Parts: sequence; C-alpha cells; structure tokens
Amino acid sequence: MAKVLEGPGMGLLRKWGISTPNYIVVTSNEEFEQLSKANDWLQKNKLVVKAHEALGSRFKLGLVKVGLDLAAAKSAVKEMLGKQLESVTIREVIVSEAIDHKEEYYASVKSTREGVDVMVTTYGGVEVEDNWEKVQMLAVEIGESPTDAQLAKLSKDAGFSGDTATKMAEFLKKLYTCFDNEDAQYVEINPVVQNSNGDLVALDAVTLLDGDAKFRHKDWTFPFAAEFGRAYTANEEEVMAVDAKVKGSVKLIEIPGGNIAMLPAGGGASVYYSDAVVARGGKLANYAEYSGDPPDWAVEVLTEKICSLPDIKHIIVGGAIANFTDVKKTFGGIINAFRKAKGEGKLKGVKIWVRRGGPNELQGLAAMRALEDEGFDIHVFDRTTPLTDIVDMAMAAK
Amino acid sequence: MSILATKDTHVVIQGGVAGVNAARRMAEFRYMNKQPLNVSAFVYPPDAGKTNEIVCGTELVAIPIYKTVADATAAHPEINTSLVYIGANRAYEGTMDALNDSKIQTVSMITEGVPEKDAKLLGKHARKLGKTFNGPSSIGVVSAGECRLGVIGGAFDNLVACKLYRPGSFGVITKSGGLSNEIIWICSQFADGITTAIGIGGDAYPGTDYVSYLEMFENDPQTHAVVVVGEMGGDLEESAAEWYGAKKRRIKLLAVVSGFCQESLPKGMKFGHAGAKEGLKGEGSARAKSEALKKAGAIVPETFGALGPAIKATHEELLKSGTVKAIPDLAPADVPRLPKTVAEAKKDGEVLVAPLIRSTISDDRGEEPLYQGYPASELINAGYDIPHVIGLLWDNRLVSKQEAEIIKRIIILSADHGPCVSGAMATVLAACAGIGLSQSVAAGMIMIGPRFGGAVTDAGNWFKYAIDNKMTVDDFLVYMKKNVGPVPGIGHRVKSLKNPDKRVKELVGHVKSLGIKTPHLDFALAVEQVTAAKKDNLILNVDGTMAAVLVDIGFPVDSLNGFFILARTIGMIGHWTDQKRQGSRLIRLFDYLVNYASPKRRAVPPLK
Repeated sequence: MAKVLEGPGMGLLRKWGISTPNYIVVTSNEEFEQLSKANDWLQKNKLVVKAHEALGSRFKLGLVKVGLDLAAAKSAVKEMLGKQLESVTIREVIVSEAIDHKEEYYASVKSTREGVDVMVTTYGGVEVEDNWEKVQMLAVEIGESPTDAQLAKLSKDAGFSGDTATKMAEFLKKLYTCFDNEDAQYVEINPVVQNSNGDLVALDAVTLLDGDAKFRHKDWTFPFAAEFGRAYTANEEEVMAVDAKVKGSVKLIEIPGGNIAMLPAGGGASVYYSDAVVARGGKLANYAEYSGDPPDWAVEVLTEKICSLPDIKHIIVGGAIANFTDVKKTFGGIINAFRKAKGEGKLKGVKIWVRRGGPNELQGLAAMRALEDEGFDIHVFDRTTPLTDIVDMAMAAK
Repeated sequence: MSILATKDTHVVIQGGVAGVNAARRMAEFRYMNKQPLNVSAFVYPPDAGKTNEIVCGTELVAIPIYKTVADATAAHPEINTSLVYIGANRAYEGTMDALNDSKIQTVSMITEGVPEKDAKLLGKHARKLGKTFNGPSSIGVVSAGECRLGVIGGAFDNLVACKLYRPGSFGVITKSGGLSNEIIWICSQFADGITTAIGIGGDAYPGTDYVSYLEMFENDPQTHAVVVVGEMGGDLEESAAEWYGAKKRRIKLLAVVSGFCQESLPKGMKFGHAGAKEGLKGEGSARAKSEALKKAGAIVPETFGALGPAIKATHEELLKSGTVKAIPDLAPADVPRLPKTVAEAKKDGEVLVAPLIRSTISDDRGEEPLYQGYPASELINAGYDIPHVIGLLWDNRLVSKQEAEIIKRIIILSADHGPCVSGAMATVLAACAGIGLSQSVAAGMIMIGPRFGGAVTDAGNWFKYAIDNKMTVDDFLVYMKKNVGPVPGIGHRVKSLKNPDKRVKELVGHVKSLGIKTPHLDFALAVEQVTAAKKDNLILNVDGTMAAVLVDIGFPVDSLNGFFILARTIGMIGHWTDQKRQGSRLIRLFDYLVNYASPKRRAVPPLK
C-alpha cells in the first residue's frame, strides 16, 4: 500500500474526469506570489490553505486554514512553510479554491478479497463516522465493472434523488474507472459537494495506490507518503532507498520512546518478535526486518541505523530457520555494523540477543559468538532455542 | 499421503536463474528420498532450445528449456504443476498461460511484488477453472518423502534435521516463508513431523485460502492435525475458524496469529507482510482472529513460543488414542547424506586425487600469490623489482642486484624498435583493422621467430654449446657451417662495423664494467671479430649479445626468447594504444608497393 498526498491524488481524479476545486502545490512564497498573479481563481475565490505533508490531525495542528482571501492565504502559506513539527519540516503547502456548498456526501472505492466495494452515502463530511450503517455498498466481483444500472440503483438506495442521483451515479462510475485504471487499493472522497451549477466536486481525497504496480504507471512521478501520520525519518528514507536497489528487502520504522531495538529476519517472524516484546511489557524502539537473502551491505546499513537509535538497552537479532537467506552472509553485514558502531562509542551497555537458523547457520552463529571476545555483551542461540525465547531472556535480564 | 505436492507431481518451472536454483533444491530433496528429479522442463524464452544442468546426487541432468508452457507440456505430457519465478511485471501473463494449459492443475508463484489486481484476477481465473493458484510470494510447498515445490525447507542439512524424508502427521499452512521452515522444524522436534507444509504467500490477497487447504488436509488420511500460522489483516483466519467450527472435523487445528503488538503501536503504524494490514474498522486484528479460532475449538497458544509444547501435547494425544504410531528415528548410518564434491571430500581428508598438473613456480591458494614461496606483497615491501620476479618465475631463484640491473637494461633496450619492424607492423595493422588489444599484440607476437627477435634462445644455445665443449672460435665456425648454417646472433640487416648497433655497445659496456666473468659474451665477441672481418654486417647483433649475457648470468637457454617477448610486449601494447588513441582507420598496401608478377589477364579455358 502506498499513500498518495492530496495534490497528486486530486491529479489522478482529474485525469479520469472528476471535478476537483482548482488547486496548486507551492514550495515557496515567491512561487505562490507568481502563481497568484497567473491564476484568476486565486484572486476571485475564497481559499483553503493546507500543509501538504503526511501529517495526521492537520486541523488540530493548525495546518488547515479556510475561508481566506488572497492576502490571508499568502500569510498562511508564509506561516506554514518551513514550520518544524517534531521530525517533519513542512516543505509543501496546497492552496485550493473553496467551493460554496450546502450538502456534503461521501463516496469511496475499496479493494477486497472478492473484488471491489463501491460505497456511497448522503451523510458526508464529519457525519459519516456516526452514520456508517447508512452507507450503501455495491460489491463488484473480481474482473468485472459496475453497470450503469447498478450505480443508478446504488445512488438511489443511498437516498440521492432526481438530477443529483444521476450525477452521483456518473461520479461513481468515474471514480471506479479511476480506481481500476490506476491500480488503487482505496480511494475515499469525503466530502463530495455540489457546486453552484449543481455539479459534483471532490473536495478532499484519500488515495492509496498499489506500490507494486508502479512499473506500469509512468505518470506516477510523485513520491509515496508514509501511512502513519508522520513523514518518514531520514534513517527510514535511507533504508527505503537501499531496499529499492537490492534483491530481497530491508525495512525500518522508527518508534520514538522505545528501548528495545529490533533486528529480526523475515516478514513473518519479525512481527512475532515484536509481539513477544509487547507481550512481555517491553517498549519497541523500532520495527525492522531483512528478508529474501539481501546483500550483506544492505543488512549492514540497516544495522547501522538500528545501532544509532537513542537510549536502547537491547538489540534482538532474531530470526526463524531461513529457507534461502544465507545466515553467514547476512550476519557478516550485521557484524560489520556492530563493530563500526562500537568503534564510534555506541552500544555501551547494550545487550545483543541472537537466535537464528538456516543456510550456513553454524558459521554465522560462530561469527556472532566470536564478538564476545571483542567485548560485546552478546548472547547467541541456535535453532534449538524456541524462536522468541531470546526476547524473554532479554526482558528478564533488564 | 500428502496434498498439493505429491509423488505424482511433475513440474515445469517458469523463469530464469531463480527457477534453476529452485530446481537444484528440488533435486536435493528428491535425492534425499531416492527419487528421480520431478522437474521436467523450464519455460524461459531467452534460453529456449537450450538446457539447464541440474545436479541430481552424483549426476548432472539436462532439463530442456522451452519458449512457452504449451511447448513444455506438449513435449512432457506428465507435467501437471507449474512453479512461477517470473518477474512481477510479467508474472501475470506467464501464470495465465500455465493456468490455461489443460494439463496443469496447480500453479505456485514465488514472485513477490505482484500487483494486487493481477493476483486477484489470477486467483479468480484459477477458481473458475477448478485449479489451484498458490501465491504470489509463496515460498513453496513441501510434502515429506514425496515432493518439494520451490526452496521451502531450505538447505539439505535442514531437510534431514526436519526429517522431511518421511511423512509425519502434521499439516502446515503459513503466510510467512521464513516461518514455514520454523514450523516444520518444530513439528519434527516436538512431534513426528509434517505431511505437507504450504506457504500460502504473504500478500494481501493470496490466490487460495486456508479453508481450501484445510478441506484437502481433512481428506488426507495421513494428516491428523494442521498448524496454521496467521497474520493480522484480511479474513482468512476467521473463515478458517468458521470452517473448523461448522461441524466435527477429523483433523485437529492449531493456530497462532501475529500482530498483537499493533495494539500498543502509534496509530496507523503497520508492520510485516503486505497482507498484514488492518481493516478499516479494526476488523482483522490479531485478537479478533485469535478469539474466532479459539471459539471454533482450535488450539491457540498465547505466544509463538508456546506452539511447540502445544504441538507436542497434540501428538501425545494422537499417540495415546492410537490414531498414530510412534515413528522410530533412523539409525545414524541410514540418515540421508548429499554426495560430497571432490573439494569437500578432499578437505575432509577422504579422497586422494592424482594431480593433473605439477607446478614448481607459484601458488595461488592463499590470500595472495606466492612466487617460489615468497608473498608478492612482501617482495614489494622488501624493495624487490620486476627483474627479481622474472628470476623467481623463470629460473626459480632470486637474482642478485647486479643481475637484476642487467635484466632491467635488456628490457629497456628491447622494449620497442619503432613501427616498421615485423612485430610492431603486424600490431599496427591489426589495430587499424579494429582488432582488440590482446589479439593485436598476439599478431605482433606471431612475427617473433627465426628472423625477427626469436634468435636469442638459438644464439644462447650455440654459444653455450661452444663453451661447454671448449671449442675455439675457428672450430665453432667450422662446426656451425657444416651442421647448422649461419650463426644465430650474428649479422644485422642494416647495422655494420662502421654503423654499429648502439644497443649492443651499451649492453656490452655495462656488463664488462661490472668485472664479472662473462665467458659466453667474450666468446661471442671473439666470433664477431672473425665474421665481421669476412663481411662488414656480420656483427654480433642485439639478440646474440642478450643471449650471451643471459647465459653468463645463469639463465636457462629455454627462457632466453622470453626476454625479447616480454620486452617487446611493452612496445606492441604501446603501438596498439597509439593507433587506438588516434582513431586510426583501416590501412592497406598501395598497389605501387607490390610487384605484380602474376600472369597478365587471359581467357579462361573451358572446364574439363
């Protein structure tokens, strides 16, 4: 899943014929100044200014300002650009045209195991959460498309009538076409509003695309955004850049405030290791995984980042019995990074816990054990120790 | 017995290198079971018509590669299963080909990063045809003692450690590839091992679900319990729970679900496989799944660590009820082993191999080459130079400083002789024809022989013959005239007594200034006195001088041409790079440089 920010999300909707308010994404005051001279709509309409970053609760943070004239918009842009919120610096701001409207509707399309669900309700905006049971849903089977008749019925069932019902059916058709052609996994328009001409306009969009389909979408030139309400950190971005280059994969998510650092192998085992830490009352400092026999240097980069996490007490180098990931090779990368970190004065008082099996496990585990002679506080276990027991031991060691 | 992958499974592998690697792993598995390889063909258009060599025990088996799945199944009608190792951007089409082939019943896809839409369409198509599409992102399927699809189970030692050479009583279904192996291991240590283990794939929408496989296991008399390793997200675990709870099932169900950590993570933060994603309304959480499975009567340990003991308890129950019998362990001698490679056997001191080659000069087996036992880097650090390396490799000895200086001068004097001589000319000609460096230098090298640069060895040979036999100059010249012909090393095309070769003068001057014994050089100079008196250009040439000096400092006669070849290589490389740098074009002789002495144009007689 890959989240797309509002600007590019709106761009995809427009590409498939859905009306959106006029909008621009600006990165500097000068740029906004120039664009405001070039675009009439910025001078004539009330405007909305929003931080264009992967941030949750933008309203609460004061990063959404509505009902502005151009002058007020300019000062809002000035105020937001460059603003620092924890790890995120606001680099982009989206300025869009405010659309006068009375009713707010809701429409979404979502991928399911059986196909695609198209959902719509007249209870849009903030009302949708409380009126979820009123949402009308059309399940479209895999490989099929909703018919005009189905969409017309859906629209009527949701309580739309007359001309608006017809327009909503058309809107849903376009939304489905956009969803299907753009390899989307979830598109939610909330609210959909009716402008003074009676046309339906998408005011805000949540767009999740299938990152795996990027190879067949040459126009996906925008970056994907983090899904967890904050921008990626520099370390996360660096690991993602490595991940994009190598066979296999390396992943990192930092969790501020934790003290148990995770360096497990495999997408399945890594979650069990995280579960085990949480189950024993530990606080995760990160999530990580390396899998699919990645090159040693990629694992080394990941390990470096993990060794640099602040205030960590333990590092869990866990893993199941690998099918084809070479334990000796991947451990080689980890060991290099451990040595480097120690040379830089890191890892003081940090206990390292290792459990692993798989190709060349004997050599890999022996190399890890040898780190003890170099002064590492390291505890190495083989396949005969159950998977997550090292977490129990770490948590008991304190 | 087993499901999905059985002793009757015959496989076509779609894909390149990764597929070949999978075939090797599958061959190891079959060798362990004393069964022939069950990979019949590969489909990989770039290599269609060729074969892939797969090691099966002590033999190499050639497996043909085809352009299409249809070609493969036409040539090998026993094929009933396809393994897909095609890249994510082409996997859809390739898998469709396999599904649409009437002979293929099961398609398992290892490819990761397949677009969700493609995976969904493939799954639906397979269901419509009544076939099984396992994956994407599946590590494979393994049935103990029967068949392995893909690399599931890992290396050979692990297969044996997990007793995969004979069936147990436990079925396994996992989303995670790495955990499949872990569970197989646990089943073999805490119970009697597995029947079949299936990697269903970690994507959001795998082509199959737990229920289809649970049905199959329920109908497999060998399988008595099934371990499901789930993940948060989706509703596969809930459906499995529903199936299990719907009526009395023969098989016992054990399950664990991951993702409890989700509850204590910052909002919206998700881990793990693509499939491990939360539903919109909190549905698909680890807790919800776990509860549903428990409610349906499945055994759901609280942690992954408790899974082993739970499996053990289940097995003991099966034993107690007489449903299964204890399987005795194999005697150590009967445990399957892979044949060792010669290198491994040699390392373990188990074989004696008669060597093919004997080398007395160097050894490359360490971290750096040894020349006569001396590490190259240490020679450098001790101040040794190229002439010393020549001494070590050509005459098995460290030459003295004085000798090294002589060798250095010989190389400097012989490095090049301009573009007109045979060797350089051939190199230039080749360079201008666009020929590469090594071939162009080789063209020049070919010129080195009796008339150009190749007389050093011959000259050394005969001067040594004279000295060894204590011949006088006169005896020598008579002997040579009678038995050999012109004296090698004597005579020059353009130089003469009046126009002496400066290189000879330089070399002789240096060697004589050292005050060392030079019987061969002295003899050669004495020969020159006689021959040059007869004819002005019968002087001691540079080949002859080099030869006499090198024999004097002890180099074996057979190595002598090497000094010229080595030195002149420097010049030839220079000529090649010179022409290349200038972007020289193809050259040819002008016709006015040829004396056309062949018959003039005339009528062709009728063919008889």
